[in-house]
Amino acid sequence: MGELFQHLINTLVLGGTYALLGIGLTLIFGIMNVVNFTHGILYTFGAYVMFIVVQKFELNFFVALPLSIASGWALGALVELTLLRPLRGSDIDTTMLVMIGAWIAMQSATLWVWGGVAKSVPTPFPDAPLEIGPVSVSWLRLFVLVAAGALIVLTYILINRTRLGSAMRATFQDQDTAALMGVNVNLIYTSTFALGSSLAAAAGALLGPVYVVYPAMGDLAAVKAFAIVILGGLGNITGAVIGGFILALAEELGAGYISSGYRDAMGFLIIIAVLIFRPTGLFPRAERVG
Amino acid sequence: MLEVINAVCGYGGVTALQGISFEVKAGQLVALIGANGAGKSTTLRAISGLVPLRAGALRFDNEVLTGARPPRILKSGIAHCPEGRRVFPHMTVEENLDMGAYLRSDRSEVAADRDRIYGEFPRLAERRKQAAGTLSGGEQQMLAIGRALMSRPRLVMFDEPSLGLAPNIVERTFAIIRRIRDTGTTVLLVEQNAFAALDMCDHAYLLEGGRIVLSGTGAELIANPHVRKAYLGA
Repeated sequence: MGELFQHLINTLVLGGTYALLGIGLTLIFGIMNVVNFTHGILYTFGAYVMFIVVQKFELNFFVALPLSIASGWALGALVELTLLRPLRGSDIDTTMLVMIGAWIAMQSATLWVWGGVAKSVPTPFPDAPLEIGPVSVSWLRLFVLVAAGALIVLTYILINRTRLGSAMRATFQDQDTAALMGVNVNLIYTSTFALGSSLAAAAGALLGPVYVVYPAMGDLAAVKAFAIVILGGLGNITGAVIGGFILALAEELGAGYISSGYRDAMGFLIIIAVLIFRPTGLFPRAERVG
Repeated sequence: MLEVINAVCGYGGVTALQGISFEVKAGQLVALIGANGAGKSTTLRAISGLVPLRAGALRFDNEVLTGARPPRILKSGIAHCPEGRRVFPHMTVEENLDMGAYLRSDRSEVAADRDRIYGEFPRLAERRKQAAGTLSGGEQQMLAIGRALMSRPRLVMFDEPSLGLAPNIVERTFAIIRRIRDTGTTVLLVEQNAFAALDMCDHAYLLEGGRIVLSGTGAELIANPHVRKAYLGA
């Protein structure tokens, strides 16, 4: 029983960051229709910014986190402005190839700048974990859970309760009509890609300190993000959150009760199962953003 | 008020407008009639800035708007109620109306305008929290009209407002459009229902193959033998 509770608390921690990754990708892939291969790189980038700001500039961990998210926003905006805006209106294959190119270039750049040696991010949390009965959870993981939850809520508010969010939803439901309402559609594309990217960076910034930071860390994260989006239904934010937690649960239980070697296979198994049995995702009828 | 001067535009290799010029005078209801594919919708889309002009000019109240993007056109006072209603299906009725006021920052005035539209269309008030995609066609048309008015335009362009609506709703829609004109907002109306459009307008233009081939008052066009034969089935 204690073991199960331990798996469940681990699921919550992991699921929160997976949900961030998934929301980010569902905005870009599900709504903007860009097969975003740079999503994993943004995850890696967020973790590296965390490492640099804490280690090199010796700034506070809690300052580093918003800086990392902001850097993810900026890098995402840059990718959209330089690579996607000139390709607006071209077919999905073209943008996919360009994004694969961007992925390879950016990953190589990471390797070039920071080297291949895995780095660990120092954190201000005590080493001794918090013990609640049979369950133990490190303070760092607890913080990751709370921060991810807060970011999910903030994103939800941004999309559903703000002027920018309304413009995003309008644009992806009917681009021409949104323009007729006075929406600067180009700006919305850039903002949406930047928002999705900043969420990937946030996930990396939160999980980087839990594990280690290295150039290829985002590859698996990207695959997982696609699994979450497929699971939750394209463009469905609530679906992405639920999908994130389902994937985390599958990984935890798979690793705990089958074999730890199967942990990362769970994402692929989910993609295969969903595509066979529910190709529109688990929640196709649920409210879509666009 | 609005002047379109020698406008040429098209999609890809097709030229949809072959250099059209016309004018909309302040306070009037001006109708643009013609067959499917004559270029009526393209004309409105060109004025809104959705389709770029290849040549020609656009002037609104002495402001040159040639080449302007849609937000600037709207800001200068021209609203466009598009063909097929085009409400945002996954947004609520209220969110749709608020999108119409997207460029306005006077929040209390926006709320007052919204209440006025709810007063005009009580069905929309009843359904304000409902997704617009779940409304009936007639309700969606009312929402689209209300949304266009939320920007407080000086000129509203309606593209085929009667399309796909039940006859009694069509009647009601035309009555609303006449009332918009009567309350001082200039109207440019594109309509396939030529008789209804000519009957209610102050001035009309007939488009054929991307050219304006006739213009005059509604009564003049109704009396014209070519119009009678080709468009009124008389």
